[in-house]
Amino acid sequence: MPDSEFLLEVRCEEIPARMLEPAIRQLASRLFEQLLASNVAPGEVQTGFTPRRLMVLLKGVPEREPDRAEVKMGPPVAAAFDQAGKPTAAATGFAKKCGIRVEDLERVENEKGEYVVAEHKIEGRPTIDVLSQVVPQILRDLDWAKTMRWGSGDGPWVRPVHSLIALFGGNVVPFELFGVTSGDSTAGHPVLSPQDFAVKGGSDYRRKMSRRGIEVRFEARKKKLLEQMNEAADGLGGELVEDAALLAKLASICGIPGVIVGRFDPTFLTLPREVLITSLRDHQSAFTLESDGKLLSCFLTVMDRPDDPAGSVQAGNEWVVEARLADAKFFYEEDKKTSLADRRAGLDQLVFHARLGSYADKTARITQLSEVLCQALGWEKEQEAVAQAAELLKLDLTTEMVKEFTSLQGVMGGIYAREEGLPEPVWQAIYDQYLPASTDDPIPRSPEGQLTAIADRVDTLVGIFGLGLIPTGSRDPFGLRRAAQAVVRILLEGDLSIDLDLVAAQAVLLYGDRLEKSGEEILTSLRPFFHDRVRYLLGLEGYDYDSIEAALAVGSSSLPDLRSRVDALHSVRQESDFLAVVLAAKRIANIIKEAPEQTLREDLLKEEAEKNLYRASRQLRSEIEAAEAAGDYESGFRHIAEFADVLDDFFVKVLVMDENRDLRFNRIALLQSIHRTISRAARLTEIVVDKAELRGRNTDMQVD
Amino acid sequence: MQSFQELILRLSEFWAAQGCVLQQPYDLEVGAGTMHPDTFLRSLGPEPWNVAYVQPSRRPADARYGENPFRLGKHYQFQVILKPAPKEVQRLYIDSLEALGIDLEVHDLRFEEDNWEAPTLGAWGVGWQVMLDGMEITQFTYFQQAGGMDLAPISAELTYGLERITMFLGLSRSVYDIDWVPGGVDYGQVRHQDELEFSKYYFELADVDFLRQQFDGFERESQSCLEQGVVLPAYEFALKCSHAFNVLDSRGAVSVTERVELIKRVRNLAVACAEAFVESREQLGFPLLEAGAKRHA
Repeated sequence: MPDSEFLLEVRCEEIPARMLEPAIRQLASRLFEQLLASNVAPGEVQTGFTPRRLMVLLKGVPEREPDRAEVKMGPPVAAAFDQAGKPTAAATGFAKKCGIRVEDLERVENEKGEYVVAEHKIEGRPTIDVLSQVVPQILRDLDWAKTMRWGSGDGPWVRPVHSLIALFGGNVVPFELFGVTSGDSTAGHPVLSPQDFAVKGGSDYRRKMSRRGIEVRFEARKKKLLEQMNEAADGLGGELVEDAALLAKLASICGIPGVIVGRFDPTFLTLPREVLITSLRDHQSAFTLESDGKLLSCFLTVMDRPDDPAGSVQAGNEWVVEARLADAKFFYEEDKKTSLADRRAGLDQLVFHARLGSYADKTARITQLSEVLCQALGWEKEQEAVAQAAELLKLDLTTEMVKEFTSLQGVMGGIYAREEGLPEPVWQAIYDQYLPASTDDPIPRSPEGQLTAIADRVDTLVGIFGLGLIPTGSRDPFGLRRAAQAVVRILLEGDLSIDLDLVAAQAVLLYGDRLEKSGEEILTSLRPFFHDRVRYLLGLEGYDYDSIEAALAVGSSSLPDLRSRVDALHSVRQESDFLAVVLAAKRIANIIKEAPEQTLREDLLKEEAEKNLYRASRQLRSEIEAAEAAGDYESGFRHIAEFADVLDDFFVKVLVMDENRDLRFNRIALLQSIHRTISRAARLTEIVVDKAELRGRNTDMQVD
Repeated sequence: MQSFQELILRLSEFWAAQGCVLQQPYDLEVGAGTMHPDTFLRSLGPEPWNVAYVQPSRRPADARYGENPFRLGKHYQFQVILKPAPKEVQRLYIDSLEALGIDLEVHDLRFEEDNWEAPTLGAWGVGWQVMLDGMEITQFTYFQQAGGMDLAPISAELTYGLERITMFLGLSRSVYDIDWVPGGVDYGQVRHQDELEFSKYYFELADVDFLRQQFDGFERESQSCLEQGVVLPAYEFALKCSHAFNVLDSRGAVSVTERVELIKRVRNLAVACAEAFVESREQLGFPLLEAGAKRHA
């Protein structure tokens, strides 16, 4: 079957930068899926976009759907033919309905008997027909974060559509979308090359775009921008302050990748580094440059044109940057007139949550909760810095700088605290309090910072959960999932052995009567919420989900301890002896499932195998206790693995369900005690065993 | 250097040539050109409407005693409404910049997402801030809802920030330095005393009790006008409420919860006026529909 390429371009008014990448991904994958469903999947998919266009190029698309046969079930053979073997009215009627001759009917045999069937050959449609049907539908149904209508009510779509290229093997795929008819032409840059032009196919499209300076491929555009910016930075004797998100944004707001170098008055370099970087990034989408860790008084950003022949683009950008930095400097100097401590009154006016009080209330709670945490961890020397940091934690919310740049919350407070000469652990704790905000972020750098960050988030989680506002689905307006994940990460990475249940219970008490749910209800809903983050984060570290479940099932009062147990399980779980014990554990759990607690009597141990098991289990218990006391869960699990043979032997030679009631109860008591012993660090029954893994082991043990 | 008044003249000329009604500012205090009845009310309903005008816009909270070179308690917007938005509205807008003498062959023009929302009007739209060499010079919006009602046809609203554009074209360091008259009276000479005195009024002198009484009174008046079936006066009193609210707000007299409440009261008036306006036009038989048809015939 010959194949062809399909070129699709939608040219429209400027699509918001944040929506471009998700849209092109969805467009390409839906096209692929639809063509796959028609058995005409492309061999290769290329995509591209600029603010004004979405482009997909599919190569190696078959020109027709393959033909296929459709089988229709008819009447039973007995009803279709009379005794003479001549077709009945039922058969002729069926053949007529299917559009075939009665002599072409076939027979099939199934579990109900023999039936006549009509095999109907369906000719595959030309792919161009498939495309003209599915493409407009896919385009219309793309998901956008926000849509609009235009003109007399066209839409909804992200922005008004101006032209459509849809070419399959050089022929226009005919369709209409929002009153625009598909064709073979498009236009270039709205100012520099606005005239329409026609294209013949994918490579012609690329060539004609590139003649107009337009790079449609996103990655190529990003690369070109980065090269030009690195070159410019080199020339200025510095290097870019890295920012992958900013680079992606810059590549999304231009079609022609042009770079602008600007300079600003070096006196602005007295502003903190973070302020300069943020102001340039947020207001001007500009990169800053540094040399030996010091910022240079210049910036780099993009223009949607190749050059700046009159210097006006540079002059304009510099003018705006100068005004923005003047603003920032004004805010900074105003802020410094009032010390953080003197800003306390401002927190009364700042609402944290209408039902949970002001930031002054929150500060009081964080301070007390931090103190409790210090005591729980046995921290003494850190206590003073923690208390001071907690009290100053939220005060930067009253500064002009944070009102202007919310992304600098915490950071600004840290900077002002540092400039006031407060101790390092204090300003760092304030500075780092919102870390980690994303998966790539580190946790707060100091123990004091880690502790206050936890107190702050647990307070928020408990408060919002306490109002019954638990996140559901994608709705999480308070960012509680991120908050819980940050808490879990800080505990794990900071190696902090804190019982989250106890901290949360304390946080509930500190809210007094503000909450609507009882402490028990809050803890019951919060615990699985934290556990989900634990599962996710440990899963990212490469642990199997059942290892995590097994460890979680016996408790999570300290997350570093939990991770040690998961890690130990991970090391031993491939060993066949260990897996044999897992199977035995499942069997034991089954046997004792319904049984009430029994008391073991040594004098009732009768058989040799059960006496052996008893002795071995006592030894195992003391070995496990010793290993756990040393924090060595792995050797604990290894001791359990060594237990496999004696368990095997017991199940082969001893019948637990003996007729004698006393013997039976005593054996159950023995298994109950073994169950307790081997379930201390992990509930082994959670481990999923692939029986193939056990093949190496010579055993007749079976799974009940 | 391009002067402030030349900018107004050229934009007026350009948009008049496109068939816009060259309207004058609304003679009340408003926060933006959008609140002019020729935008807010005329964007409702099916009738076509093209209009352009300058609107002095008051933002009491932005007042800076004439000291900040960029922020003003009152600035001038050049407002254009094209209803329905023609397919080539972006092209028309680009042409208008060229009419201002901006040579786009040497500038960088970009449209960055910026959606507009006016809670007091129950209105929102989708569009961009238009960036010229990294500076925002225009707000470009396709209205989607006004007075809580879905709009059809859709209006395009172009709002040029006149001070900003003039400053930018001359790369002036202060708004007060730009020429109002070419080579003559400058912006500071025309406006500085106004900024200074109104800052003093907004931040220090405005009588809070008096303004609250005004707010209540204007609200009652608006409601009673609506009851009597006169929608334009009703809308005027809604605008007066809105301004009273803005001054109270700049005076620091509005708490967080009261803020929500007052905004809701203004919004209720605006929504009621919007509905009444559409009804009143309907009773008149949407006369501009016919006029449009006549003209095209």
